[in-house]
Amino acid sequence: MALVGVFSTGDISRMRGGTSVKLKSLVANNSRLNLLLASLPFLVTLLVLLAPVLAPHNPLVPAGPAFEPPGHSGFILGSDSVGRDELSRVLYGMRTSWFSALAVIASGLIIGVTIGSVAAVAGGWIDTALMRFTDIFLSLPGPVLAIAVVAALGPSLVHTLIGVGIVWWPFYARVVRGEIRALAARPHLEAARLSGVKVVKRTFRHLLPGTLPALVVTASLDIGNLVLTLAGLSFLGLGAPAPSPELGAMSARNLTYLLQDYWTAVMPGMGILILALVGNLAGDGLRSLMKDR
Amino acid sequence: MRSRFLNSQMLAMRVEGLNGNPSRPTSQDSAQQNTHSITTESSRSGSVAEVTGLKVTFKRANENIFALRGVDLSIQPSEIVALVGESGSGKSVLGLSLLGLVTHNSKPEISGKVSVADIDVLSATESQLQTLRRHHLGAVFQDPMTSLNPTMRVGKQLNEVTTSTKESIELLRSVGVPEPEKRFGAFPFELSGGLRQRVMIAMALAGSPKLIVADEPTTALDVTVQAQILNLILSVREQYGTSFLLITHDLGVASMVADRVVVMYGGQIVETGSTKTILKDPKHPYTQGLLRSRLTLEGTTTGRISTMIGEGYDARTLPLGCGFSPRCSQSTTLCRESAPELRTYSKDHLLSCWLETQSYPGTQSSVAEEVKVDDAYVDTTSPTKEASTYDTHASTPSGGEVLVGDLVVSFKVGSSRKKDSLKALRGVTLEVKAGSALAIVGESGSGKSTLLRSLVGLNTPSSGSITVPPSGEIQMVFQDAGASLTPWMTVQELLDERLFAAGIRSKSERQTRTGLACESVGLHSQMLAAKAFQLSGGQRQRAALARAIVVPPKVLLCDEPTSALDVSLAAIVLNLIAELRQKLHMTLLFVTHDLAVAKIIAEEVAVMYLGQVVERGSTRQILESPMHPYTKSLISAVPGGSRERLTLKGEPASPLAVPSGCSFHPRCSEAVNKCTEQEQLLYVSKASKGHFVRCGIALEGK
Repeated sequence: MALVGVFSTGDISRMRGGTSVKLKSLVANNSRLNLLLASLPFLVTLLVLLAPVLAPHNPLVPAGPAFEPPGHSGFILGSDSVGRDELSRVLYGMRTSWFSALAVIASGLIIGVTIGSVAAVAGGWIDTALMRFTDIFLSLPGPVLAIAVVAALGPSLVHTLIGVGIVWWPFYARVVRGEIRALAARPHLEAARLSGVKVVKRTFRHLLPGTLPALVVTASLDIGNLVLTLAGLSFLGLGAPAPSPELGAMSARNLTYLLQDYWTAVMPGMGILILALVGNLAGDGLRSLMKDR
Repeated sequence: MRSRFLNSQMLAMRVEGLNGNPSRPTSQDSAQQNTHSITTESSRSGSVAEVTGLKVTFKRANENIFALRGVDLSIQPSEIVALVGESGSGKSVLGLSLLGLVTHNSKPEISGKVSVADIDVLSATESQLQTLRRHHLGAVFQDPMTSLNPTMRVGKQLNEVTTSTKESIELLRSVGVPEPEKRFGAFPFELSGGLRQRVMIAMALAGSPKLIVADEPTTALDVTVQAQILNLILSVREQYGTSFLLITHDLGVASMVADRVVVMYGGQIVETGSTKTILKDPKHPYTQGLLRSRLTLEGTTTGRISTMIGEGYDARTLPLGCGFSPRCSQSTTLCRESAPELRTYSKDHLLSCWLETQSYPGTQSSVAEEVKVDDAYVDTTSPTKEASTYDTHASTPSGGEVLVGDLVVSFKVGSSRKKDSLKALRGVTLEVKAGSALAIVGESGSGKSTLLRSLVGLNTPSSGSITVPPSGEIQMVFQDAGASLTPWMTVQELLDERLFAAGIRSKSERQTRTGLACESVGLHSQMLAAKAFQLSGGQRQRAALARAIVVPPKVLLCDEPTSALDVSLAAIVLNLIAELRQKLHMTLLFVTHDLAVAKIIAEEVAVMYLGQVVERGSTRQILESPMHPYTKSLISAVPGGSRERLTLKGEPASPLAVPSGCSFHPRCSEAVNKCTEQEQLLYVSKASKGHFVRCGIALEGK
């Protein structure tokens, strides 16, 4: 199951936006629900920030007998093959996944917005050159490139993030360029130009704020994709090395116990599920909120 | 209002009875249906449509929108009733109610009775409604491009409502579509705006309906084409005996075709009477105000237009008394506390106003009252008179000159493989003296906006010369003021930015100037903290003007700043622009499609046609002794008044395919052979000084 995840995430990351049609129609006309959905990422951030407080045990040190089922010997989600608390490990794992995803999104936004806005505002050959450059990166397969980077630099979370970060910005560059070009054709920009506002100020004050809605929605929908991609890479062993709690690696290592002690593999999977779902729900919620405006 | 609630293409389909039941019954079927399920109109004499006590309330989020608050209306056979009102008056909702379309959306609260051809529209089943729409009703909406299905050939769309191709072609011919066999296979985008509207009318006519509801059918069209469509409505009535409900914001349009005018305000009918009565002897202060704000070519009015207080009605509130009382200067306590009813004032003249019905049965209002009415039109736009500090900033009229020499602007259009050159301007020469005002008049595609945009550098000229003041001293006001204000910035920020760009670094100075500018344009300083979407239409235009003049420019360019506004608001904005121009000694270039606006605002007029100036002269010369055949027909097409009607044939040619010789010759009634070959030059009239005309024939005739 998780293996399928690795290879399909690449595709999923191209088709932005998830969540079933049914849920969407349910969500569509309810601004209060949308607000709640949009605030989910903040709740998750709070949750993973508080991981050290919430985790009942040290995630790296055995705290009791191995393979305790959930609810036994004080292990709420059970214990793993060496007796470490599954709940604590999942919480810390979620923390790593969540912040990794946010870091990649942030780097993608910084690179993408810079390239996209420069291309759109400058136009002409600069636009062409920058957008063809973007196309090159758009054509690179994300997970494969990440594997190559990690293979070259050695296994580490930072290297994985660098590998994913390299391919994660082109989409933002395209979104920003498209939005700016649409905004630039509107009278308010011409009016600003006639007011004598210089091009840099015009870009920052009259164009970029207008791209915010599209960017916020795209980025939040992307969190889910990233969580899945990163978990897939970590499942393949391309993440933080052994003892550190990582959701993908945990489910991979405990896959052998799936039939007898299911929780060891399923609980990390649930963590991934929650993060990916939160990303998608928040994106849908934000999209509906922006549409209402 | 309409577009917010419904998609007009869906509406058009519903009206044609296509929804759900594509098969059209044969005439025998329909005759049968008529006999048993529907009492036909002929069985009962009297009106085609009857509306009694109609109330419609829409519910959105947490608000109620009281669209109609008790409306009574009846339409007689082959009568043309004009429903006049400003945006938000409920006129479109009333039209939709008659078509049985209001029940379909957003589950509004409806009470009252609507019957068309003796069918109760409100309680009818969907199939009854379809029969009704198919046989008794037709509809024409404002924008035929959105009402026609863009993916279907017009013939196929027509065939859905007629029985045969032959009938469809006949219908096209009867509404004046040239070469109907050829047009039959055309897609809507291949037709011009006027032809599309004719196709819509043909569709509405199919099945010879008793009533056609036409919602602003000419608003999106050029003046000369509008005149053609209005003529068509008259001839359809003549030929088929069809009744029309003509919904319009323009009293001029109403006066040209309607038998009876119904004036709506705030979801109620405030006055109704024969067109003559309403135009000559209106009794309701609102109707009087509308008439005063209206611009016509008649009369000697120059300078200030009388305006009404305040802005349009807010349908979210339910007034206790008369809906117009907050804007009515004569309102009394009675007006504010108790709503007047629509009563008979004189024969065929109904009025809903306490002021008049109290004095009723008095014959005419006394002279004293008339004077009172005049005073009532308080000058709301007038800023403080002592703006002397401001005058010092505005330099002497020197350097405000605008010179344009043989300007050519062409655009590349089409795909990269097949590039066409669109010549928007084909050699325009203009000379505007510092401090004077020039109105540039023309229909769509005449290049008038391109000219304006070229002056400020938004378009790059292909050849020719432009002499204008440097960029900081030339400012422009756009047609859509709302869109010209950056949506996420406050008015304060926008003004501040303009001042900063003009090199004013001191914050206190910027504040003083901002305050002065707001005062000049009549914008309350509280509005400085607002963003565009929080402002009303009038406030947006004021804010846009404030930005243009906060650093007084030498030249102010206006691109149809009033064409999207309601009549009463347009008057206020025009007054404001005229006043600012006087105060700041600005040169004014005002682009408009409306000659009446040009008359008010400018001393000189340049008439443009297909990228050329065809006639130029003082406003008086142009309006009183026009020489060019195009100018003549343009003047005669302006609604209102009792001028001789010269309806122009055809529509302006596309700037992509400019006709040879004199570009106007295909539409010109005075064209002779050489007009097709020989390009006309801009001649100077010997008889009247400063009058130029691009027509040798007209010049010789003079």
